[in-house]
Amino acid sequence: MKDEAAATTPGFSIPEHRRLRVARFAQYILIQALIAVACIFALRQSLPEPPARYLVSEFSAKEGGVERAVTLPHYTSSRFSLNDPPVYSGRFAWPGNSPPGTEAQGAWSVYLPRFSNGVEVAVNGVVILDSRRDPVANRPDRNAPEIAVIPASLLREKANDLTLRLFVWGPLTGFLDSVYVGPDQTLRPYFEQRTLLFVTLPVVVSAWQAILAVILAIMWAVRRREPAYGILAAAMALGVAQAFLPVAVEQSQYSRLNAILITSAPIESAFVLTFAMLFLGLRWPRYGALIFAPGLILVAVALFGGQALVSEAFVLLGVPAIGVYMVLLALIVARSVWKRHDVASFVLGCAVTVVLTGWIHDVLAVLQMTPDRRIFIARLSYSAMLVAIGAGLTVRFARALNQVDRFAGRLVTQVRQAEDKLKESFVREEERARAAALALERTRLMRDLHDGLGGQLVSIVALSERGDAGVPIGDAARAALKDLRLVIDSMDDIGGDLMLALGSWRERATAQLRPHDIALDWRALSPQGLPVHPELRPWHVIQIVRLLDEAVTNAVKHAGARRITVTIETLADASDFAYGRITVDDDGRGFALMPDGAAADKKAGRGLRNMRSRATRCGIELELISGAGGTRVRLNLPRRFPDSDAAGA
Amino acid sequence: MTEVSDERATQAITVLLVEDDAPTLWRLQDALTKSGFEVTAAATLAEARASLAGSGPKVLLTDLQLPDGHGIELIRETRQRFPETEIMVISILGDEASVISAITVGATGYLLKDAFPTDIAQTVRDLVAGHSPISASIARFIVRRTQNQAEPPPGPPLDTVKLTPREIDILWGIAKGFSYAEIAEHLGLSRQTVPGHIKNIYRKLEVHTRGEAVFEALQQGLIRL
Repeated sequence: MKDEAAATTPGFSIPEHRRLRVARFAQYILIQALIAVACIFALRQSLPEPPARYLVSEFSAKEGGVERAVTLPHYTSSRFSLNDPPVYSGRFAWPGNSPPGTEAQGAWSVYLPRFSNGVEVAVNGVVILDSRRDPVANRPDRNAPEIAVIPASLLREKANDLTLRLFVWGPLTGFLDSVYVGPDQTLRPYFEQRTLLFVTLPVVVSAWQAILAVILAIMWAVRRREPAYGILAAAMALGVAQAFLPVAVEQSQYSRLNAILITSAPIESAFVLTFAMLFLGLRWPRYGALIFAPGLILVAVALFGGQALVSEAFVLLGVPAIGVYMVLLALIVARSVWKRHDVASFVLGCAVTVVLTGWIHDVLAVLQMTPDRRIFIARLSYSAMLVAIGAGLTVRFARALNQVDRFAGRLVTQVRQAEDKLKESFVREEERARAAALALERTRLMRDLHDGLGGQLVSIVALSERGDAGVPIGDAARAALKDLRLVIDSMDDIGGDLMLALGSWRERATAQLRPHDIALDWRALSPQGLPVHPELRPWHVIQIVRLLDEAVTNAVKHAGARRITVTIETLADASDFAYGRITVDDDGRGFALMPDGAAADKKAGRGLRNMRSRATRCGIELELISGAGGTRVRLNLPRRFPDSDAAGA
Repeated sequence: MTEVSDERATQAITVLLVEDDAPTLWRLQDALTKSGFEVTAAATLAEARASLAGSGPKVLLTDLQLPDGHGIELIRETRQRFPETEIMVISILGDEASVISAITVGATGYLLKDAFPTDIAQTVRDLVAGHSPISASIARFIVRRTQNQAEPPPGPPLDTVKLTPREIDILWGIAKGFSYAEIAEHLGLSRQTVPGHIKNIYRKLEVHTRGEAVFEALQQGLIRL
């Protein structure tokens, strides 16, 4: 703990913070001390015992050929006495078939609260109990009691012989606690009480451990990136296997396996230690794998060594190893408490303290340094650890759920905010786009009006100022109106169908030509007229219509035509792509074209230049053929009209 | 219709001309009078109503923006009182906003203010003969309204559900600049039946409901424009 305190970084220089941390840690240590004291106090409480009058304590023990009088409880000195066990001979009195209502009525039993490791009980020379047949009783760490009913026929009035043969294996010395002989109904409740505490409770705990093993294994399977759970699952599985696989002496086919299982506790502890290190976020030390060494050595010994060697190795290597792990665990948890001060570390720390106290108690018991009846509680106290692990996991799970809820709530809020923001920006963007579109449209409209209407109105003003009233003013005004209608018309949404714009143009052209007595022939060679161009924009329409207007005006004003034919058709180009073609033919005089394609006539020349410029802007291929027989203006429409006005204003 | 008007119709077609701009009025009046029409001129809504007090003319030609009211009101009143009267709107641009509004209250055609005199007379004569003129842009406006659109396009309200597919085909033809003969040929009709179809289209677009709401909406839409 001192190391931990010294290891604090300069980052915690704020005295207030540090004081708080030290206070918290001191509190933790104090609580651990209290827990240890409470454990010791609880262990001091001896279990209830049957009435002393049924106690048989005076025995004559024959051990290693030496016979002497002993008083139970007794520790044997010999260790390996499977073949030549110490024999305890004693006597007890049976009151005989007493009248009804007395205690002595009914069956009598021999009750052995605690022995180690195995015992054979004979009454009047007849064996009535051999604890080695009971797998539970064969576990030295389980404190299993035994009771045996004495067959009535064996009992003699007054003096009866009681012979106990104590089998001892392992490095532990043999131990025989007081023996009770009395009415079964009196002794049995005490036996049941001990069975509940030392046999049934461990089974319950092991079942709990099995459940933990399954839960942790599932957790690890689902969350592979947290190996801590997998390791803990392995520890739990090992513990369960050790608890439930039967342990019987002299079952040769399983003896190796049994030996391994008995010695598995160090491996289990090493796993738990590994889990704690990973779970509490410790960096894995360089030689961390060494903590598995004692366990593995024990397994090797169990595989190749003899029974005695295994037991010796377990006591000399396994038990101290477990103790070292416990101390390490306590240190690790304490460090975590110091650094994080979280509930999980705290609970785990309390559990470690309980187990450590149990371990120390057991070691002292083995070394016969406590006036104890050799009750081992390390394994039982391990259940505190299991409960702590279960509780810690549940707390962690519940917290994670809460965190997910909070996160989800926050996410919902954030999404809503983002949505609102997006909506706002969308509205702004829309507003901006609308404004931009409006500005663009205004620019275009201004240019269109300037091109046509403006010029014509100026022309009207000029003509009227000259006072030269008559046809020119009327013509200019009419042209202005016509252009106004064209501009308005072109703004209509025609859905990319140029034919809809040409329909209106035909009407206007017909009306324009009628006073000149010129016929307008309209020939749509393809049923659908022209291909539909979704990209067609009003400014394209205006350019095309003005181009056609110029062609007609030229035919009327300069060529003196009598008939104008407009042909509309859809053709397919080399790559089978449909494109439109509009042809305006007249039967006028035509005009001479210069070699460079410009007209010789100055006025007509300007008109032609205009037409070419308009065609270029819309990506239209313009063909002009003029001769004595008339003029042909041909517009080969593009496959796709350009998006922007390439030629500018 | 009285016997007197029938008798007069054989001699001269009576026209009530409502136009507040004097030069335009003169121009139109000259064109019609020279072609043998009997023209009564009115410059305001009140004058027009006064001349309609007795009998209805054969033809009503009216501007929409009048100093004391809106031509739409006059068209509607005339339509209700004199079902036999042919009604035309005089428009500067022939734009759909004014023409369609007039059609929905009973007009069956429109006349451009700058039309050539011969065209003016011819249009009125055609109208009397049962040939309602319809321009490509008006036809375009109507057919685009028949196409199902999620959002009604801007412009005056127009109910096109009564139009038959054939009538819509005819409108498409007109919108694309085809002549009556071409349309008739395309659709396998007699050329003479096309004007009748167009007249039917006008009649179907007319709002017959007496409900004021439609009219109000129409007028408001027009005024806003």
